[in-house]
Amino acid sequence: MTDEEPGKLEALRQEVRAWLKENLPEGWGSPGYVAPERGSKEAHDLGKAWQKKVYDAGYTGFGIPTEYGGIERSRAEVAVIRDEMQRTGTPPPAGSLGPMIVIPTLLRYGNEEQKKRFIPKILSAEESWCECFSEPDAGSDLANIQKTGVRDGDEWVVNGQSVWTSGSKFADWGVVPVKTDPNAPRHRNLSYFVFDCTSPGFEVRPLKQMTGDAEFSETFFDNVRIPHANMIGEEGQGWYVAMATLEAERGGGIQFVAPSRRIEPTTLGGVDIYVELAKNTKRRGKTVWDDPIFRQRIAQFAIENEAMRHSRERMRVKAIKRQLTGNEQSIGSIFSREKNQRQANMVAEIMGANIQFMRGDPRALDDGSWTYTFLRTRGNTIETGTTEVLRGIIAERMLGLPRSRQ
Amino acid sequence: MAIEYGLNEEQEMLKTMARDFLANECPMTHVRELMEDDTGFDPELWKKMAEVGWLGLVFPEEYGGSGMNFRDLTILLEEMGRAVLPGPFVSTSLLVGIPILAYGTEEQKNEILPKIASGEAVCTLAALEEDGDWWADSINIRADYRGGHYVINGTKLFVPDAKVADYMLIVARTKRTENPEEGITLFLLDTKEVYGTMSTLLKTMDETRKQYEVVFLNVPISAENILGELHQGWPIMKQIALNTTAALCAEMVGAGEKVLEMTVDYLKERIAFGVPIGSFQALQHRASDLVIGLEYSRSLMEWAAETIKEGDPDAATAVAMAKSFCGDTCKKVVAEGIQMHGGIGFTWDHDMHLYFKRVWTDDNAFGDSNYHRELIAKKLDEIHQLAGGGRWKITSGRMIPMG
Repeated sequence: MTDEEPGKLEALRQEVRAWLKENLPEGWGSPGYVAPERGSKEAHDLGKAWQKKVYDAGYTGFGIPTEYGGIERSRAEVAVIRDEMQRTGTPPPAGSLGPMIVIPTLLRYGNEEQKKRFIPKILSAEESWCECFSEPDAGSDLANIQKTGVRDGDEWVVNGQSVWTSGSKFADWGVVPVKTDPNAPRHRNLSYFVFDCTSPGFEVRPLKQMTGDAEFSETFFDNVRIPHANMIGEEGQGWYVAMATLEAERGGGIQFVAPSRRIEPTTLGGVDIYVELAKNTKRRGKTVWDDPIFRQRIAQFAIENEAMRHSRERMRVKAIKRQLTGNEQSIGSIFSREKNQRQANMVAEIMGANIQFMRGDPRALDDGSWTYTFLRTRGNTIETGTTEVLRGIIAERMLGLPRSRQ
Repeated sequence: MAIEYGLNEEQEMLKTMARDFLANECPMTHVRELMEDDTGFDPELWKKMAEVGWLGLVFPEEYGGSGMNFRDLTILLEEMGRAVLPGPFVSTSLLVGIPILAYGTEEQKNEILPKIASGEAVCTLAALEEDGDWWADSINIRADYRGGHYVINGTKLFVPDAKVADYMLIVARTKRTENPEEGITLFLLDTKEVYGTMSTLLKTMDETRKQYEVVFLNVPISAENILGELHQGWPIMKQIALNTTAALCAEMVGAGEKVLEMTVDYLKERIAFGVPIGSFQALQHRASDLVIGLEYSRSLMEWAAETIKEGDPDAATAVAMAKSFCGDTCKKVVAEGIQMHGGIGFTWDHDMHLYFKRVWTDDNAFGDSNYHRELIAKKLDEIHQLAGGGRWKITSGRMIPMG
């Protein structure tokens, strides 16, 4: 139960609250606060600095062994910290890919030296990471990776191209699966590396997406030399290591989820912002909230968000009982990403003509971030594997249906 | 409140036992026999359910019960949903037994609960009337105080298991005021002791669960037979609805999961165009969507059951969310089950339609998905008001958190 020592937890709550007041950027949460432009170097640096502060204060790094820089907290304490951070909101941490996907991958497949070398600096945000997975001809069909790696002494010489590389613009390190055995069959021909982004021959070209931002890049490997010591897992095991990364990415890190708590009376289902939006938007003399169709749609999202919260808890309990295979993450991944998209569609329909205002137009609510989200969510059902690929995983691996292709 | 997701060891045992019991004692062949019967009631089966402790599952031992909790009860309901079990279990346990335990006088409890637990007494609730609408305004059947007792006149509709009920809980109007929720009283009628009631079987869609029209003609009933307080029956009805709704969610999820299993088996077996149809992506993706829907249905259903078990103040919200989502999802699951079975799934002889009808009937009981979603919308409104117009405010072109 979460309230084993209510006095201690309340003290922690006050501590976090005071810490946030002290440490959040000047003017945070006030109408006058202007965040650095999304995707800019300033935003990246702010996120990095913020993550470091949070780590130094002991408010992140839970569930990671202390020998790799993890921080021990009870589930109740973690919940209190999460609650307080959610209450004020915080700058987005830079390089969330490190904690989200690289740490779980290293914990599962890395050797002791690799774990000690990389994990602490991910937690403290001293090093941020990019993920070089998709290629022009290997998106949903990730096993079709064409990047080649040729052994040369203690190094591998890597050539090829990635696309949709996330986090690459300012990353210090990257993860990349490479074809190291052209003669081996699919799923046995890849090896998985971590590499230094300052390596000669590694080039990043920003890739502009439909939001107008360049959050992703195309990356090029021209005789990039990666030490053999940077191989994660065994030679030829790269596909499985890559799957561990994707599982972590799709699951959003089940191990980091806060424990269940009573519904906060002010934030039922986390849709209070949509209620506020609907109550402040008028259509032909009536508020959108008075339209039963929108009321039902907003209520539906409250229901779905609560359902997701309880499902995550169910999965956590199953994980403890070792009843999970990893394929279950596809369920949450499909549902949450499609939900984000439907939610953004609803917002666009609530806002009507005003959804058109982008960042920079003085009429744009929240400087266009709603419009940005509306556009950005188009990618949600594609990145980390299209939701169609994940439906195939559920069908084949959970339901045991016959393979749909040869 | 600590929510216990998944099942503990005892609950796993209960589930396994229930599944075996129903497979042996009430296989589909027997379900179909009971569909043909006017009462849908099998006294032998009922006796066996009493022997394994199901009929008084949540009653304390002093009333002949098994002393288990509400979550345990929903595990049985899931299994009953899988088996499309006919008969008066929901009527007896949820619509009458649990309310007597919660609101009955010591006398009422001592008289009726041990009989329910031992299988001697079947019970039901007569609530809905002509319009079949679940709200206080529709309660028009009258109980007038005349010559030292109440006299009930009027017609109830959609009364489950009326023909075999030994006790009938009647929702009647004892006073008409501005507020329709005022002046409703619950009467507990011993059907063997009175004359003047007439039950007629309704020809309804779900033939595994029989429903009746019950006409009351000058039925006398004493004030001692009131459950709870005079004129104050509606809050009890709301609690009955809450408990039963949570139980029906469990039944729908059980039915939905069974339909998914049957459908997946069929997708593997059925050959068309020379291959198992389960290798077609169009069908794989539809089947996957059902897995997704059922995962979230189960999550909300388990939460709802836990809140009722704990008497948690979130129960009303949890149950409304669960009913809305489980209803929508399970209605989709049973429809997709038929579709993916193709022609065979549309036949009378195939069991798909039994699940389809059970789920639609359950969804309708005590308010359907849309009704419960509206309850959540009302709750959101309330929260917005409480928080002084909301936790977020749109000010100078920004949505900012307050406080």
